[in-house]
Amino acid sequence: VSLLVESVGFGLITAAVLSIAAVGFTLQFAVTNVLNLAFAAVMTGGAFITYAVNQAGGSVWLGVLAAMAAGAAISVLLNYLVYAPFQARGAAPITLVIVSLGMALIIEFGIGAWTGGIGVSYTMSQGSTVRLGGLVLTTVQLLIMAISVVVMASVHGLLRYTKLGKAMRATAANRMLARNCGIRASRVIGLTWALTGALSGLAGTVFAIDVGTFTSTSTDIFLILILAAVFLGGPGNAYGAMLGGVVIGVATEVSAAYLQADYKYVIAFVILLAMLAVRPSGLLGARA
Amino acid sequence: MSGAGVRRVLAAASALALAAVLAACGSSSGSGSGSTLIFADVAPFSGVDAALGPIYLVSCTGTTQAINKAGGILGHKVACKPVDTRGEPADAVPAVGSLLSTTPNLALVIGCTSDEAASVVPVLNQHKTVMFCMTGQSEFDHVKFPYFYRLVPPDLAESYAMTVIAKDLGYQRIALAFGNDIGSQTFVQPAVAAIAKAGLKLVANETLDEHATTFRTEAAKIVAAHPDAIMTEALGNADPTLFAEIKQLNGGHMIPIVGTSALISPAFYAAAAKAIGAATFSKIFHADNLVTATSGPAYNAFTSALLAVKNSHLPGEQTGNFSTYFSAPGAVHLYDGMTLAALAMVAAHSTDVAKWKPWIVSIGDGVPGAVVVNSFAQGVAELRAGKKIRYVGPGGPTVFDAFHDSPGIFQIDTYSATGTVVVAGNISAAQLRSVIP
Repeated sequence: VSLLVESVGFGLITAAVLSIAAVGFTLQFAVTNVLNLAFAAVMTGGAFITYAVNQAGGSVWLGVLAAMAAGAAISVLLNYLVYAPFQARGAAPITLVIVSLGMALIIEFGIGAWTGGIGVSYTMSQGSTVRLGGLVLTTVQLLIMAISVVVMASVHGLLRYTKLGKAMRATAANRMLARNCGIRASRVIGLTWALTGALSGLAGTVFAIDVGTFTSTSTDIFLILILAAVFLGGPGNAYGAMLGGVVIGVATEVSAAYLQADYKYVIAFVILLAMLAVRPSGLLGARA
Repeated sequence: MSGAGVRRVLAAASALALAAVLAACGSSSGSGSGSTLIFADVAPFSGVDAALGPIYLVSCTGTTQAINKAGGILGHKVACKPVDTRGEPADAVPAVGSLLSTTPNLALVIGCTSDEAASVVPVLNQHKTVMFCMTGQSEFDHVKFPYFYRLVPPDLAESYAMTVIAKDLGYQRIALAFGNDIGSQTFVQPAVAAIAKAGLKLVANETLDEHATTFRTEAAKIVAAHPDAIMTEALGNADPTLFAEIKQLNGGHMIPIVGTSALISPAFYAAAAKAIGAATFSKIFHADNLVTATSGPAYNAFTSALLAVKNSHLPGEQTGNFSTYFSAPGAVHLYDGMTLAALAMVAAHSTDVAKWKPWIVSIGDGVPGAVVVNSFAQGVAELRAGKKIRYVGPGGPTVFDAFHDSPGIFQIDTYSATGTVVVAGNISAAQLRSVIP
């Protein structure tokens, strides 16, 4: 029982990081129609921006702001210089997926060339250890969970109560109809790239804090988990991504507790396949 | 079929096809006068084992500079060429194919770790390229590849050595935590058997997915099993991350670690020290390693060669305590392999592999009346004086068997708090035999 409680707790930490990334990824996909596989590479970029700030003597939390700004800038540029021109020429969605895969490799290898491919860590304290029931967590891990909750609440507030959020939902549902209703879809799309890019930078930094040591390719496997969370929850559905992140995060850790641990990501995909067999549109249905 | 299985099939198919093409093309038969000979470092420079290739490259660059400083090989300068296998057989085969097709003056291959040896050794052997490999895979104990040489022991011997260390230190309850790559998994079954033979108790056996980013649940299972020590090899970020999580879950106390010789590297020390603190890590860590010189003329020549390339900003060069390279198996034994090969060429008066290859064993193992030399420059001087030589480098004297394996004897290494490798003891042949199942 104690191992079960511990693994659920560990799963919630993974879920906290995963949810931030999955929400950013799915919002980006829903509004822009680009399944951007370079999302995790942008996360890595954010993690290294924070590292640069940290190495220059700044705190990691200051680095988070720089990472969010950098993530937003990189994502906007990616769209402006790469994806939008392809879309303007009528490229098929699968073409854009391949293009984004190429961009992911370019970004990752670019970072690798810059950093030398060596694992790095932030200079920061993990804080004191906190025991909650059967859980053993550090204050930094609790902080990561708190950040995730704040992000989820903020995304909910944005989508439900702001003009931009409503415009994003409208553009995601039907871009043409949104335009006919007076929504400046191209502006909404640009803002979405910036917003989700900022989430990517944030996710990259909390990911790096969580794992301790990271390299230019550390988010490769994490991208697979992001995709699993997004498709489990229902592609394009922000609330589905939150739920998917929690399910995948907890499932991987709990399965590691009772099965051979190196199969934990396989278990996540078995769950995904089983879910999609029963409910092909994901846990929370069609795109918002 | 698993992803790894598909990759193995692809690698095997690619290797066969490449071998067929290379067989048709023939092999190298010496280089033109004055051309630069190439020593290729075929190893991972990216992926989870990315730390390995750069260690070998430091050794290669230092060795070739020392050779060039001594006049080169028969008028040829020598240079190093890094070849990134990404630690994957399916990536290694095309990388080696590209190396062979674009490097007419390829004289020697070093590296070939357990990650890629099974797929690239047959290809290189087919191409009649001499290689000094860092693989411990047991298949090379009994399969004959005439161009394959190895100065490191088979992995199962390392598993026995780790068990001896654990027993010697009084640890009774042992947990295993090995990475899921080919090279690390080969330690597991011999370790399980040796632990049983030694009368120790195996309390946990975790396989770490080296692509995973956290191992919290694996750490919790290990902590819950209350081991006295953990035997491990999981390269990249895996082991340092595991250590940090074990320390967190164990109330801030780290469980002692017994590692393989691959954990003796500047990058590993830096990552592990960062994860759990240098003072803690230096107190709880032991590793097996082959006995290497720590003083004397061979050691001085070796360290001088490596120090000459310090701060050269080689690809992937690792930060940390540079002196760790002086004990890193990949640095020491590949230095010896390259020096042996270079002396063999000089002794044979030829860069034609058919002529110089036989000299490797005779110079390494020695012949009656041979003068012992400890460096390339010294060896060349004695050869010019018309003497027979035996090379004894920092890795000690070689004793090659019919499969060109020269396994050494083991010592126990630890780290100081600054990352310097400290020899804590030796493992006798009797101790090793006592745990062999």
